[in-house]
Amino acid sequence: MRQLNSILTKLIRNRAGKAKMVMAMVALSAALLLLLISVQLQVNYHQLLNQPNGRDSIADFLVINKQLNDGSMSNTTIADAQVKQLAQQLFVDAVGVLTPSRFKASIESKSSSFPFYTDISFESVGADFIDIPGVEWTWQEQSDYIPIIVPNQFLDFYNFQFSFSQNLPQLSPAILKMLVFKVNIYGPKGAISLNGKIVGFSDRIAALLVPEEFMQWGNKVFASGEKGAVSRVIIKTKDPTNPALSSFLKRNQLTTDNQKMRFSKYRKLVDTVIAISGITGILLLVFALLIFTLMIQLTISSAQSEIVLLVTLGASPKQLSRFLMRQFFPPNVWVIVGSTVVVGILQFLLQQVLSSQQIMLSAWLSAYTVGTALLLGVLVWWVNKISIRKYIG
Amino acid sequence: MANMFQLQNIIPQTLRDRPSMMHSGIWGKLVQLNPSECIKITAPSGTGKTTLIHFLYGLRNDYTGHILYQQQSLAQLSGEAIAVWRQQEYSIVFQDLRLFPQLSARENIELNRVLQNPYCLPAAVEEMADELGITHIMQQPVHQCSYGEQQRIAIIRALVQPFNWLLMDEPFSHLDQANTSKAIALIERACKKRNAGMLVTNLDDDCFFNYTSTYHL
Repeated sequence: MRQLNSILTKLIRNRAGKAKMVMAMVALSAALLLLLISVQLQVNYHQLLNQPNGRDSIADFLVINKQLNDGSMSNTTIADAQVKQLAQQLFVDAVGVLTPSRFKASIESKSSSFPFYTDISFESVGADFIDIPGVEWTWQEQSDYIPIIVPNQFLDFYNFQFSFSQNLPQLSPAILKMLVFKVNIYGPKGAISLNGKIVGFSDRIAALLVPEEFMQWGNKVFASGEKGAVSRVIIKTKDPTNPALSSFLKRNQLTTDNQKMRFSKYRKLVDTVIAISGITGILLLVFALLIFTLMIQLTISSAQSEIVLLVTLGASPKQLSRFLMRQFFPPNVWVIVGSTVVVGILQFLLQQVLSSQQIMLSAWLSAYTVGTALLLGVLVWWVNKISIRKYIG
Repeated sequence: MANMFQLQNIIPQTLRDRPSMMHSGIWGKLVQLNPSECIKITAPSGTGKTTLIHFLYGLRNDYTGHILYQQQSLAQLSGEAIAVWRQQEYSIVFQDLRLFPQLSARENIELNRVLQNPYCLPAAVEEMADELGITHIMQQPVHQCSYGEQQRIAIIRALVQPFNWLLMDEPFSHLDQANTSKAIALIERACKKRNAGMLVTNLDDDCFFNYTSTYHL
């Protein structure tokens, strides 16, 4: 086979020229890079939007409450029917109820060297809606401490305003997470003190969050009055810019965090960029495949007399097709493997950069990206095969 | 019978109006070419010797009637099937040689040797080249060889593959008496080794081989 290929190589040279070959390779590389990057970025977005507990900065979680104006004051309850209706909307992936504490509470330092005291209130939410990975988001009466999640804004407020005005030291998140402080709860039968500990900082919900189990216990034991009504809910949505969402909120006199909605408009922009990149990739791929087809046609037509004599002497069309595939396809394989490796390296670097910003992504290429590379490989192989068969035939 | 050619009323389209068709021993007749036969086709120029060789080799189908080999019609074979036959069933020495001018003598021969599972070893090729006196031009591009040398290259090329029939179209036209004798001895040995038949065309009567049948076109 080696001897036959060596003689055939002398007879059927690639007459298309190196320039055309390089051009086709560059076009194919660019096409593959754009397509694979588009697929990988889509997978990355999907991963960020759908991971249940990942600390990501772009997931679309919106806290919804009633519009507060002169007419709606003291009437900001979201009815259970309205919560159910919200959950049934197509643009809503999940709904969680934010339960406020209905008892008085305060926190105070256990250390005399760093004294502090403040009245406080809590809110609770289900574990699916928190974005602190690795935290056991539960509480029992026997627990050593109440886990608390603090908004990053609170920490910034303390470090960059309050500490200066009160001549207090600045505190890093790590130091704050080491502190155990007293949580005092006041009820009709008196007050009790429990331990509290900050387990994480979040941008998602602007409230001091505690586990639902603690809130149910606290409200049951210490709350005065009847069961509290729901006034805030959190929803998970794929697309906060969906017009159906904003019209639903408007229709039901609800409102949400406009800042997050603005951020998600940037995501829409990125989606568009990815789509453009994908379309450009497809156009480049078509261009590259066209050049390959022309190169094959040119090579075969310029070696027409040699091919005719080879067939006359007994070379089979299959033998010649196999030889031509060996001439044209392996460079394509190298381009596909090379492009996949480059996208893999880019993904690894992206993961490194984003993990320093607490955005957790896989360091590896997704199965979809590798599958796309394989599919493109099959497509290029098929186009080569069809072109050769057409012109050899 | 297995490796038998059957010619059933073959009339070439290009020759059908010629008066010589009426007196041909092949055209328009039922002819059977049996395995291992040594057949001579003789005729003056322009009466279709090369045409007949091309019909039998499956290069042309512009005739009426049928040519059967192994009970199959040559005209209806696929490209793949005819390639298998050309690699395994019959070999040919063309009148116009049909060598690749850009390849060396050795590469031209080697190509036919390795198109299928090689029938003979490279050493056998060297022995044949030595026997026909072309060892010194084996590395030379064919276009630099004389026509006589090219004819000997074409003969060796035909003998390095397996075959049951050897078709030769005026194979010694440019060889002197001594080289013709050497080529005849080589061809006879190769055919005997394979128990193959041969069909030779020539302009005149000759005694190159011990012919078992002679046909006049």
